[in-house]
Amino acid sequence: MTRVCVIGIGHTDFNSMTPGMGWKEFMYEACNKAYMDAGIDPRRDIDSFITCAEDYWEGFSIFDEFVPDQIGALLRPCCTVCGDGIYGLGNAYMQIQTGLMNVVSIEAHSKASDLLTYGDIMLHAFDPIYDRPVSGPVQRPNYAGSPSYTEESPKPLVGASDEKERIHPYFLAGLEMQHYLRKTKTTEEQCAMVAVQNKRNAFSNPYADYELNISVDDVMKSEYCFSPLKNLDVSPTVDGAVCFVLASEDFAREIGAEPIYLSGFGWSSETPWLSTRGMEADYAKKASKMAYKMAEIKQPTRQIDLVEVDDRFTYKQLQHLEALGFAGEGQAGRLIEDGSLDIDGWLPTNPSGGSLGVGNCLEATGLQKSLEIVTQLRGHAGKRQIADAQTGLAQSWRGIPSGSGAVAIFTRG
Amino acid sequence: MTFTEKQTDPTAPTHWRGNMQADYLYPNGVAGDKFFKHLKNNDNFLATVCPDCEKIFFPPRLYCEDCFVEIPGENWIEVPATGTVRLFTTATINAHGKKMETSKTIGLIDIDKTDGAMLGIIKSSEMDKDLLGLKVKAILRPREQREGTIKDILYFEEI
Repeated sequence: MTRVCVIGIGHTDFNSMTPGMGWKEFMYEACNKAYMDAGIDPRRDIDSFITCAEDYWEGFSIFDEFVPDQIGALLRPCCTVCGDGIYGLGNAYMQIQTGLMNVVSIEAHSKASDLLTYGDIMLHAFDPIYDRPVSGPVQRPNYAGSPSYTEESPKPLVGASDEKERIHPYFLAGLEMQHYLRKTKTTEEQCAMVAVQNKRNAFSNPYADYELNISVDDVMKSEYCFSPLKNLDVSPTVDGAVCFVLASEDFAREIGAEPIYLSGFGWSSETPWLSTRGMEADYAKKASKMAYKMAEIKQPTRQIDLVEVDDRFTYKQLQHLEALGFAGEGQAGRLIEDGSLDIDGWLPTNPSGGSLGVGNCLEATGLQKSLEIVTQLRGHAGKRQIADAQTGLAQSWRGIPSGSGAVAIFTRG
Repeated sequence: MTFTEKQTDPTAPTHWRGNMQADYLYPNGVAGDKFFKHLKNNDNFLATVCPDCEKIFFPPRLYCEDCFVEIPGENWIEVPATGTVRLFTTATINAHGKKMETSKTIGLIDIDKTDGAMLGIIKSSEMDKDLLGLKVKAILRPREQREGTIKDILYFEEI
């Protein structure tokens, strides 16, 4: 079986808003940089193109139809994975393993600032019959076109009891955080430390947009938005696009690329029913198990030099570290306390600044995290470089209200 | 820099402001239909029991997600419209990211005699009360006003 290498990475700047750039130009920029990085011509050298996107985030239907021109994929095999960027890496890996494709491009992006109704779009991901109405009133559809529809048809508001406003869907993170704190005896202060550290790490990352020098006290004093979740526990959204180019080992050798291997990946989905779903990131446990097996990792704490884990909410970083096997239940809080997760600690975590420091880039989250791992393994991470990094892990979660996630492991050859 | 030209005047960018007309009928399905029709005329809930693992689904489903087997008609049971607060949060931010006029307490409530839970608004006279483990009951609309949707459950309150 051939091994699969990362031969190119590219990304735009990450900014809280980018009104001067069209989303296609944004994607073009990230892809162009990745192709330049790999030293290849996409019109000649890339066999297959994968974008990772979700129609609702984009604002139009059938996203894959809008893709080929800005990524160099016109009249070439091209498809969209409706999911996080790491799912795209996994699909590219498999395409290369079939022998059918030699070089594959993977792109994911966020233009979150173009969304005028971010919270409402996320509410559309809640079960429409049982869960969504609890958040509050929505205009009932007018059924235009149906035989019983008239202009006078009543259009009552649908929602729980006498609610006048819709609750932001992040309430679900508030519930899950309460579960995590109660079950593991982790404290709100330990979660606050995650925000402090990640936002501080972001100072050393030129493309991070939410670097901040704050104290645990600042986080603790920030207002509760969904208790026990506070405003500074939440990663703000950011615009950014990332592109990866993967290739077979033979092709990578041919062009003299630095040998960074995608050595393992995994993905898993829990039930979408909140009624029966657990709140313990089982998706991350399963996905990492699959990735460890593929990458022949038996002791993650010894064999992995750095990790980028999903930290869209502070507690998520701690919960995910436990789910990935880097700490026992309720022990991740101690790791943030004792400096283990610092850039010079034994388990450097989110050296890029993570979503708290870089920003929440929606479906590009997994690729942003993979970007950091590959940059570190190449030794190009500048001030935040982790010495002798050989193996790194990137993990992403699909965000509220999902119970899905993926893991990718990269190894320096 | 990828492009030779970039916008540098912050007042220059223009846009098209659009929206998505996206209305749907979401069928309740066979299981949901039975559940909501029952709720319209009764003050308790329906649930289904997996014939293999005996997991009790609330809201009821026609199949077991663990065993992947069909749940037969005789495995429908009635359960009380009561439960225990497993988790709760006080929400202060609305879907637009702005502070709400009044905060709301939303809970995940384990429904009695089932393995299922549901989201619900919890009303309590005491602000800042620790609601974990609280026994609650669903306050339903008066029967004549019910329409056979989740909206018939107005909120939950302490028993």
